[in-house]
Amino acid sequence: MKILTVIQDTTNTKNILQFTAQFNSRADESTTILANIGDGADDNHQSVHAILAEACIKVPQPVIQTLIRAGNPVKNILYEAEAGNYDLVIVRDRTQHRLERFVRARAVRIADRVPCSVLVIKGKTGPIQRILMCDSGSAESPLLGCFTAQVIELLPGDQDVTVLHVMSQISAGPGVEGEQLRANADELIDIHTPEGDLLERDLHSLEKSGLSTVPKIRHGLVVDEILAEGQSGDYDLIIIGAHRQKWQQFLLEDLSRQIIEQADRPVLIVR
Amino acid sequence: MQKSREANLASKITFQTQYLPTAVEVQETQPAQVSWWKHIRVEKIGLFIISLFLFTLAITLMKDGARSLSPLLQNTFSINNVANCLGFGWFFAYFIMSGSPVAAASLTFFDAGVIDKMGAFAMITGSRFGASFIVLFIGFLYVLKGRDRSTSLSMGLLSLLVTFSTYLPGFILGAIFLQSGWLDSMQLRSGALLSSIIDFAIAPLAGFIGTLLPNWLVFCAGLGITLLSFSLFDKCLPQMALQESHLGRMSRLVFRPSVMFLLGALVTMVSMSVSLSLSLLVPFSARGFVRRENVIPYIMGANITTFIDTLLAAVLLRNASAFTIIFAGILSIAIISILILITFHRKYRTLILGSVDWITANNRNLAIFMVVIFALPLILILV
Repeated sequence: MKILTVIQDTTNTKNILQFTAQFNSRADESTTILANIGDGADDNHQSVHAILAEACIKVPQPVIQTLIRAGNPVKNILYEAEAGNYDLVIVRDRTQHRLERFVRARAVRIADRVPCSVLVIKGKTGPIQRILMCDSGSAESPLLGCFTAQVIELLPGDQDVTVLHVMSQISAGPGVEGEQLRANADELIDIHTPEGDLLERDLHSLEKSGLSTVPKIRHGLVVDEILAEGQSGDYDLIIIGAHRQKWQQFLLEDLSRQIIEQADRPVLIVR
Repeated sequence: MQKSREANLASKITFQTQYLPTAVEVQETQPAQVSWWKHIRVEKIGLFIISLFLFTLAITLMKDGARSLSPLLQNTFSINNVANCLGFGWFFAYFIMSGSPVAAASLTFFDAGVIDKMGAFAMITGSRFGASFIVLFIGFLYVLKGRDRSTSLSMGLLSLLVTFSTYLPGFILGAIFLQSGWLDSMQLRSGALLSSIIDFAIAPLAGFIGTLLPNWLVFCAGLGITLLSFSLFDKCLPQMALQESHLGRMSRLVFRPSVMFLLGALVTMVSMSVSLSLSLLVPFSARGFVRRENVIPYIMGANITTFIDTLLAAVLLRNASAFTIIFAGILSIAIISILILITFHRKYRTLILGSVDWITANNRNLAIFMVVIFALPLILILV
């Protein structure tokens, strides 16, 4: 798996490097660390070199490439991600100023446009032990399960994976049978509802990789429930599918953007 | 007694949900490709023409009979101010279990000078409150039959709460529009062809009925014919069979609020009923489920174009001010709904869904809510 780790500024690089190091410990391909600095910032340039030198020590990877780019970070990252044919881009979500909240976060813009999966590091970071994989049941779901398994294989130790599906449905009319709207994961799996089958498929896919898994169903609004589960379960990483592309992106709500913006912990967007 | 339009929907919903096929059955019964023209049902076109004729006749009859009800409304029921009109329209819609005939009646009262412009606007707003209760009432019947409270009432409560929360500020905004006269230029007069049809085909028949019945009964006959015309119109619409539904994925996807808003507006513009457009959501999913995220903008859109039949009534009345009243209603509800969607939609959605959860949490909360929505129109009438 080819990984591109992005350092956008010289602050808090320790966290991102420590977090990234977990993925690189078992990666079989070279890792690239891209540092982006503002135009003409000579002081930054020197500190970036120091950071990259530190990164080469901290990241336990035999082959590390380092790149320094100046200018628009989003453009640079997108260009490099596309040219380098990476499987995973790791970026840190920069803390936004109040005024910046009115525009899309940089991490969101990168996650939207980058051609591969993106890990957005934000909030609480630490060793990844508990993972929340959120499966919407869309057509790309098998990819989600497979990629999750691949990513987890890169991590050291044993991770617990909770596979979450949020049922935000309510009955469309008064006479509709609503038992499924109140059922838990085990009940839905037992009676083979679409959600139950989806969870079962994900569990099967992850257990093949020897992971410890727990199915979970929550009822409520999708984004709210994912964020609530992320907090209540104190997960170290939330994994979600990417927002759809082509014509569907104009019709469908961009839930991944909302989760990236509101989550208080790292989010991996699988594409 | 004539079964009302929304009451008919109860049986439709029951029928649709009693025979829910499994997802596998839905997949296995895909219809074969048939030429589009073979889908045209001549009898449905005939029914549509009849329902339009009856609606026009009904408006003419109500117009002729409305003036005679002036003493009843003003003296017996003391419908003299805006609050009275709001309560009367609201309670009247409960009574006949439909909102559109009440909205049409309010325009005929306005045309006859029984109520003023603001009174008509208030009565139309009240009729929408009453109409949005119908889905809840049907759900309540299911609760009495022992069905789960939350499942049976969620859609009705959502419809009611979204209507209340958009129509109340919409009413204030619309009242400002009407009082200021900003929309007075927005008048659509009926064309010469429509006037000729009414004068040639409808007026003689209405006149003949008028000679047979006292004026107050002419109004009642008009109201009854309105209900009949809506009932026939519902039969003109294509029946959404589950086996034919290609939109089963709709319940699995979370659409942008703007998309659902436009869809709700479009479906209701064709079906001319919020209750009917909501009931169409049932076959959109093989299991009759709809996403919470999708439904609120859909109801908002539906609540705007549900005025389409009242707009038609205004044109048929050939009263330019009546058109302005409806236009003020459409514009104000549209402004309020769009403002909510673009500013605080997420908070609004959480608030509405939280309210639904609170009401369905236990019988005490449900009883309190039911008492309040029954008592409010009565209190408004008595104010």
